[in-house]
Amino acid sequence: MNPVLKIENLTKNFGRLCAVNNMNLQVGAGQVFGMLGPNGSGKTTTLGMLMNVVNPTSGSFKWFGEEATHHTRKKIGAVLEHPIFYPYLTGQKNLELTAMIKGANEAQIADVLRLVELSDRKDDKYRTYSLGMKQRLAIASALLNDPQVLILDEPTNGLDPMGIAEIRELIKKIASDGRTIILASHLLDEVQKVCTHFAVLKKGNMVYSGPVEDVSKGAETVEVKADVDLTDALSSFQGSSSVLRENGYFEVTLTDGVKSKDLNRFLFEKGIIASHLVTKKKSLEKQFLEILAESK
Amino acid sequence: MLHLLKIDLKKMTSYRTFWVVCGLYFFTLGMTTASGMEFLKWLVRMGASFGTEINITRIPFYHFPDVWQNITYVSGFFKAILAFMVVISITNEFTYRTVRQNIIDGLSRKQFIISKVLTNILLSLMSMLMVFVIALVTGLVYSPTIVFTDLVMDLEFFGAYFLEVFAFLSFALLLGMVIQRSGLTIVILVLSQMIEAIIRANVDDYVPWLIPYFPMESISNLIPLPFPRYVFREIQDYVSITSVLVVAGWTFVFNYLAYLKLKKSDI
Ligand SMILES: Nc1ncnc2c1ncn2[C@@H]1O[C@H](COP(=O)(O)OP(=O)(O)O)[C@@H](O)[C@H]1O
Ligand SMILES: [Mg+2]
Repeated sequence: MNPVLKIENLTKNFGRLCAVNNMNLQVGAGQVFGMLGPNGSGKTTTLGMLMNVVNPTSGSFKWFGEEATHHTRKKIGAVLEHPIFYPYLTGQKNLELTAMIKGANEAQIADVLRLVELSDRKDDKYRTYSLGMKQRLAIASALLNDPQVLILDEPTNGLDPMGIAEIRELIKKIASDGRTIILASHLLDEVQKVCTHFAVLKKGNMVYSGPVEDVSKGAETVEVKADVDLTDALSSFQGSSSVLRENGYFEVTLTDGVKSKDLNRFLFEKGIIASHLVTKKKSLEKQFLEILAESK
Repeated sequence: MLHLLKIDLKKMTSYRTFWVVCGLYFFTLGMTTASGMEFLKWLVRMGASFGTEINITRIPFYHFPDVWQNITYVSGFFKAILAFMVVISITNEFTYRTVRQNIIDGLSRKQFIISKVLTNILLSLMSMLMVFVIALVTGLVYSPTIVFTDLVMDLEFFGAYFLEVFAFLSFALLLGMVIQRSGLTIVILVLSQMIEAIIRANVDDYVPWLIPYFPMESISNLIPLPFPRYVFREIQDYVSITSVLVVAGWTFVFNYLAYLKLKKSDI
C-alpha cells in the first residue's frame, strides 16, 4: 500500500541558512504523526513545502503516491503556524470562503462548527475571537471537505491549560475517525499524548523517526524507596547507569537488559525490603533530549 | 472562471472599506462628469457679473458624438481611486497572509491571480458602463438635435476607456504584489507617474520615438485630449490601433509579472 506521504531528499535553503536538510520520511495511513523539534528546527518550513507555499530548493514528495497539485491540497486540511482568516469576515463567512476554495459542500459548515463548539459565535467577526476560538475555527476550516489528512502546526501554542486540553481532546476525537494526522510541536508531552509515530528535527536535520511506543523500550528507570538509607546499597549495584535522588525517592536508570526485578532481588539479598518500587518507562522527554544531545 | 471571480468577490462584498472606496469612486466620477454643464453655466454667470461675455452653451461638450470622447477622457482621471481599492485588496492578502491560506486550501497560484484579474475586469467593465450611461444621458439632455449616426459614432472610446482602466488596475495589482504593503504601494503608484515623466524627459533627448511606448504614457494616450478642438485646433478624435496594441501588451506584461512574482515567492 502506498504511504499517505513520502518525502525524498527534501531540502530548503533560505540564503545561507539550511532550514530543512535532505529529509526522507514516510507517513502511513491512519498514523498520528508527530514532528517534534525546538523552535526554528524546520517544522513549519517542511509543512510549508508539503502544502506548496514554500518552494523546495531540491528534493520531492508525494501525497497519496502522486505528484501534488492544487487538487491534492483540497483533500488535505492544514493550519500552518497560526490560524489565518479574513479578520473583517465572520467565522461563518470565512468558512464559506474556504468551502468555496475546497469545493466542499456548504452544509458541512454547520457540522464542523458544532464539532469545535463555535456554533453560537459563528456570526461574530473573526477579529473579535479569542486565540483559542481562532485555533478552533482553524481546525474547523481544515476539516471542511472531509480531508484524508489533517496537518496541525503547534495547535496549542499560546493557549491556557483549558484551551490546550480542549484542543488535544479535539485532535484525539478527529484521530479516532481514522484520519491521518500530522502534528508539529515543540512540546514533547503533546506528541507523547497524541501521536502514534514521530520524527525529531534539529536544525533542519531529521535525527530520529519511529513509533512513539518504540521509544519507551530500551533502558528502564526504577523509582525505589526503603525505610533505610539506600545510597550505599545502590552504588554497589552493577546494573545501573545512574542513580539520582529525587523527591525523596531514588531514581535508578538501569543498563540495557537489566530489569527492575533484578534490582529488587539484589536489594532483598542485601537484606533490604523496598517499601516503594515503581518501574517507569523511559519517558519520551528524556529520549528526546538524548537524541538532540547525540546528534551534536 | 466564474467560480474564481465569485471567490474574490466573496472576500470583498463583506468588507466595508471596499464599499466606501467604490462608493466614493462612482460618486465622484458620476458627479463630476454629469455636472460639467451646470458647472460651466455657473462659470458663465460668474463671468457675466464681471462683464465678460462667453456663450459657453454654444460649445458642444455634451453633444453627440463629442460627448463620448470628452467624458471618457475626463473619467480616466478617476481610475486612481479604483486602483487604490485594488492595492488594498491585494496587499491585505499579504498582511493577513490569507494568500498563503488560500493556496493551502487548494487554489493554485495561477487561480489566485486569475481571481484578482477577473475582479479588475469586472470593476473596469462597471466603470465603463457607468461612464456610458452618464455620457448617454447627458448627451440626450444637452444635444440640440439627436442624430442616430452621431450617437453611434466614436463608440470605440468606450473600448479604449475599458482598456485604460484595466491596464492601470493591472499595474496597481503588480505593484501591490511586489511591494505587499498598502501605504508604500499607493505612494509608489502615485509617484510612478512622475518617475516615468522624468525618465521620459531624459529619453526624449536621445530616442524620442520610444516615448509612446512607455506604460503610463501609452495608457494616457489611449484617449487623446479632446478640448483643444473648441479653440479650433486639430485633435486626434479617434483611438489609434498602435496605442491599443501597446497598452494591451503592457497589460499582459503587468499581469504575467504578477503571476511570476507569486509563483517564485515563498508565501
Ligand atoms: N521566509 C523565511 N526566510 C528566511 N528564513 C526563514 C524563513 N522561514 C523560516 N526561516 C528560518 O528557517 C528556520 C526554520 O524555521 P521554521 O520552519 O519556522 O521552524 P519551526 O517551525 O520548527 O519553529 C528558522 O531558522 C527560521 O528563521
Ligand atoms: Mg513553526
